[in-house]
Amino acid sequence: MPDQSHVGRRYSAPGQVIDPARARAMAQAIAADGTALEAEAVPPTFAAVYCLAPTFAQLFTDPEVGINLAGLIHGEQTFEWPAAAQPGDTVDASARIESVEDKRGMTFVTLAVEAVRPADGAVVCRGRSMMILRGGAQ
Amino acid sequence: MSSIAGKTVAVGDAIEPLTRRVTQEQINAYAEASGDFNPIHVDEEFARSVGLPGTIAHGLLEMGILAEALSRWAGGSSRLLGLECRFSKPLRAGDAITCTGKVVAVDEAGGVASLEVDAVSDRGERVLTNGRARVRLSG
Repeated sequence: MPDQSHVGRRYSAPGQVIDPARARAMAQAIAADGTALEAEAVPPTFAAVYCLAPTFAQLFTDPEVGINLAGLIHGEQTFEWPAAAQPGDTVDASARIESVEDKRGMTFVTLAVEAVRPADGAVVCRGRSMMILRGGAQ
Repeated sequence: MSSIAGKTVAVGDAIEPLTRRVTQEQINAYAEASGDFNPIHVDEEFARSVGLPGTIAHGLLEMGILAEALSRWAGGSSRLLGLECRFSKPLRAGDAITCTGKVVAVDEAGGVASLEVDAVSDRGERVLTNGRARVRLSG
């Protein structure tokens, strides 16, 4: 289980390519009826794909931290988009364990995440993800 | 005068609410697009086995619908500078979500409107709470 000793661990996933077809698929999944708001833009929450997924995958398989996915809930999410990601962009994603707290028999893990477009140095996403692990605290 | 998408923006303004019924088909499509196939979203039997009433929507799918509501109001998703929320209650497959928001501050010098946003289900549950958004003004 995650504990204080894991604060500061970093995960890095460089070279994430923003696939236009997948960005469009997410826009359509959000719109449900197939009429996405902007068919050729990257939906803001596509950050789930280029920033959260590749870094969280490393956290979830980090044997030192030992997260049990069966008890995991996404508790809170903060996103900032200083620059808009474009279809076809390549970005470098990273995450850092910012805090680990035990409360009410659960463990709260907060990660700070960021995705930078190396072509111009622009931050396309910065955020914070709070995950709740149920039945975690020993 | 602060404006956005041709409209004047002032504290107290509400965005056009966006209601969408989130079907299992939509959740499956979102799982495919996001790559998040956690069985609590797509496997009814598994979801029940961990104490849920059935499959539930991805929190980030709900947040995506909230972002769409804001983008429609703002005249484009590139005007959405920031969005945060708490996933307070799960949204069950088949339930409808309604996203709302109101302007709580307008920073004319910085060209940014701040909003309080949230979402409720048609069961009356507050599914997204503590929501805040920042939107770039047209000038």
